[in-house]
Amino acid sequence: MMKRLVAPLFMLLGACSSTPTRPLPPVIDGQTGEPAPGVPYEPPEQTVPVPLPPSSSSGGAVVALLDQAETYHRSGDSDNEAATIERALRIDPKNASLWSRLAAVRLEQGRPAQAEQLALKSNALAGEDNALQARNWRLVARARWSVNDGSGARAAEKKARDLGG
Amino acid sequence: MPPKKPTNGRRRTRKKRRRSRKSSSFPWAKIIVSVLVVVVAYVAFLDFQIYRKFEGNRWSLPARVYARPLELYTGLQLSAAQFANELKALGYRFVSRPRRAGEVSRNGNDFQLISRPFDFWDGREESRALRVSFTESHLGQLKDDRSGQSVALARLDPLAIGSIHTARQEDRILLRLDEVPDTLVKALIAVEDRGFYQHSGVSPRSVARALWVNLRSGRVVQGGSTLTQQLVKNFFLSNQRSLWRKINEAIMALLLERRYDKNEILEAYLNEVYLAQDGQRSIHGFGLGSRFLFQRPVGELSTAQVALLVGMVKGPSYYDPRRHPERALKRRDLVLQVMLEQGILDRTQYQKARNEKLGLVTAAAGTSKTFPAFLDLVRRQLRRDYNEADLVGEGLRIFTTLDPQVQWALQKSLDRRIRPLLKQQPDLQGAGVVTHSANGEVLALAGGRQAGFAGYNRALDAQRQVGSLIKPAIYLTALEHAERYNLATPLDDSVLQYEQSGQLWSPDNYDHQFHGKVMLYQALAHSYNVATARLGLNLGVNSVVSTLRRLGIDAPLNPYPSLFLGATNMSPIDVARLYLNFASGGFHVPLRSIREVLDANGKPLQRYDLSVERVIDPAPAFLVNRALQMVVAEGTARALNQRFAAALGLAGKTGTTNDLRDSWFAGYDGEKLGVVWIGRDDNQPMGLTGSTGAMRVWSDLYAEAGVVPQQALKPEAVVWHGVDRDSLGLADNGCQDTVQLPFIESGSLPARAPCATGGGPDWLPGWLR
Repeated sequence: MMKRLVAPLFMLLGACSSTPTRPLPPVIDGQTGEPAPGVPYEPPEQTVPVPLPPSSSSGGAVVALLDQAETYHRSGDSDNEAATIERALRIDPKNASLWSRLAAVRLEQGRPAQAEQLALKSNALAGEDNALQARNWRLVARARWSVNDGSGARAAEKKARDLGG
Repeated sequence: MPPKKPTNGRRRTRKKRRRSRKSSSFPWAKIIVSVLVVVVAYVAFLDFQIYRKFEGNRWSLPARVYARPLELYTGLQLSAAQFANELKALGYRFVSRPRRAGEVSRNGNDFQLISRPFDFWDGREESRALRVSFTESHLGQLKDDRSGQSVALARLDPLAIGSIHTARQEDRILLRLDEVPDTLVKALIAVEDRGFYQHSGVSPRSVARALWVNLRSGRVVQGGSTLTQQLVKNFFLSNQRSLWRKINEAIMALLLERRYDKNEILEAYLNEVYLAQDGQRSIHGFGLGSRFLFQRPVGELSTAQVALLVGMVKGPSYYDPRRHPERALKRRDLVLQVMLEQGILDRTQYQKARNEKLGLVTAAAGTSKTFPAFLDLVRRQLRRDYNEADLVGEGLRIFTTLDPQVQWALQKSLDRRIRPLLKQQPDLQGAGVVTHSANGEVLALAGGRQAGFAGYNRALDAQRQVGSLIKPAIYLTALEHAERYNLATPLDDSVLQYEQSGQLWSPDNYDHQFHGKVMLYQALAHSYNVATARLGLNLGVNSVVSTLRRLGIDAPLNPYPSLFLGATNMSPIDVARLYLNFASGGFHVPLRSIREVLDANGKPLQRYDLSVERVIDPAPAFLVNRALQMVVAEGTARALNQRFAAALGLAGKTGTTNDLRDSWFAGYDGEKLGVVWIGRDDNQPMGLTGSTGAMRVWSDLYAEAGVVPQQALKPEAVVWHGVDRDSLGLADNGCQDTVQLPFIESGSLPARAPCATGGGPDWLPGWLR
């Protein structure tokens, strides 16, 4: 039993370590989190590594879609503009600027509550980008003004100012 | 509308009476005039019927449902093998050199293809020649194959996954005549109606010719009716064989030819003709016929395939190539023979076509049989927003969120893990849901262990105890009280006896042991019931219920302490809704299975917009996410570490219910959330825990579909500290065994650990450092 258990672990460790020059010390049963009782031990499958994206990224695709969104914007077609930004967000869901852009469209469409939430989402992804965060807070302020939430709007404006925007 | 049945009998008796009364001066002229008037009126009536049918919507068209289109761009996470699978499903043909749309060549990780044109909501995506190269896990390069220039973005045609129709409804994909290959039109005319371009609707000559041809070949090769007559019959008349019908057919054929030109009649015929049966749905027209048999548009058919379709017109069920392949092959070869004789093919083309196999796809491909559970979800959403008549008749096009890659991976993983257990557990079942974390799109849905099996949709309808899956809601409630709780707060995992209305509640741990003082995150990571119950009792059941409500759970919840251990029922999709809050960094994201609905002309009727709502503050959301990552790093899901690199930052939670009745796993990477359930429909024990059952399916699913690293951005209000595992105090360089944990800066912190020597004092306030 012991041997059967240890052999695959050896193989696993061998596969993971980069320079297996010396034989590895025996693995003590129980140290590696044994499977629940009654369940046959399964040798682990090939390890799934962190996928390495190619050097050039999805940026080109997002830029192309932003151009298209801009065209819709200029022709006043906010529905298609929003749908195009959503398409870009599927490609790059962590792109804080895209969320901010979508927030701006929603505000234009007269949907201040959703505009505010999208701006908050953008801020959650903005990291150190203070300028973007400030822009989002100003957008939140405008959304709150539009529903006569004066104190809320002023609080958002203050946050924008504190961020230097 | 069926033509009015003539009421011959009554008319005759009336005439008789009239005759007996006025026998002296019989009004021949009047009768002739009246008969003429009736005939003219009747012909005018038929003519109006034709007019109405042809000028209006000729056909009631079922809504057609599509998967998401695959968007190609540099940096897309997709392997060459996955890409090849997608192309195969779309019916692309693998050739040595692509020349036409729908053809592709593959050389290892490099593909050359000519994409198909497709009309999307934002206009037509034109066909283009592309060169696509893959790295191990990503699309590395996308180029225009003619100019060699980089292409930023290209969209393939989406996989048709079904149509929404009523029982015994006709289904068809409309074609314009210019989309139909010349050989098909010529072959059809050669076989069905050689005089089509000469006759005026009815052709005594073609009846004679058909007789002659049939006599010569010793069997029925040609029918006597013209294409026009066949069209009239299918369009307006019953299947009944009667002289009256024949007369009507002839009159209407003549009228049709008077009103419309040959090309219009031909186009209508090509779309009307009945070609096959798919269960309750009848397949009409060459557009859908081609998809149904060969999973490709009619313009991409080979000569042999064209001949088969043309041959089937004569007897769709008799020549059904799936049920009677030999019969169908003979018929096809006969059509090829006619094509050769008529000069449509030369000898070489003929020989080549003769040597071809039937080349059918399975009946399941491209029909609602492939992804029934997902289509069920789509239908439920549509029924809320549309009436049935519009769905089955208006030719709507429904663009869904289904990602075939993820769906295949889910089905394969469920099957792979459950099938080997069926010998001992024939009733074992499973279900799964995968969603995009950021936008709530449902990428895949499995309603049972068998792919393509329509029926009880467990992903939506199985209400099962969730067990420990509920615990993150309790820990979140605690962490939102940052002044009292942090991830290192010691929790008491010792015997608990709680009396409630005279009843004693004494929860036990899964391993029947007590673990003493454990850190808050550890209690979640190892799913300790007793520590969790005690924490829940301190928070109060009402505050946990209100957390769950805020996270969007509207299922009934029992406000008793047993709720802390998951004594409440949810479906897999409910669980996905709950965990999406954690996977999306604290935002509630409504699930969506439809992106947009277009009308028959391609105009957007309705969009299902992305919307989000912050329901957890950034700091506690970050802490809960970290705790769920620790479940994988060192808790009940640590087996995942044997397979997935630690740097992927996978997060999740196992769930196991009493006596092993339910095995759950809910987990996410940087892009998608997956929920898997395994159990029995009769709710009997089946011997699997969350980590020995559902988690293995999840693990296969993510390995197959591809994993995206999860790197949550640390909110400003959060700081990292080392904690000594032994004393649960703040550690520094002097401590041996520490764990790095995030803390809310303004909240509570553990006391300094005894091992902390003052070196590397990361527990000191900033101004002292």
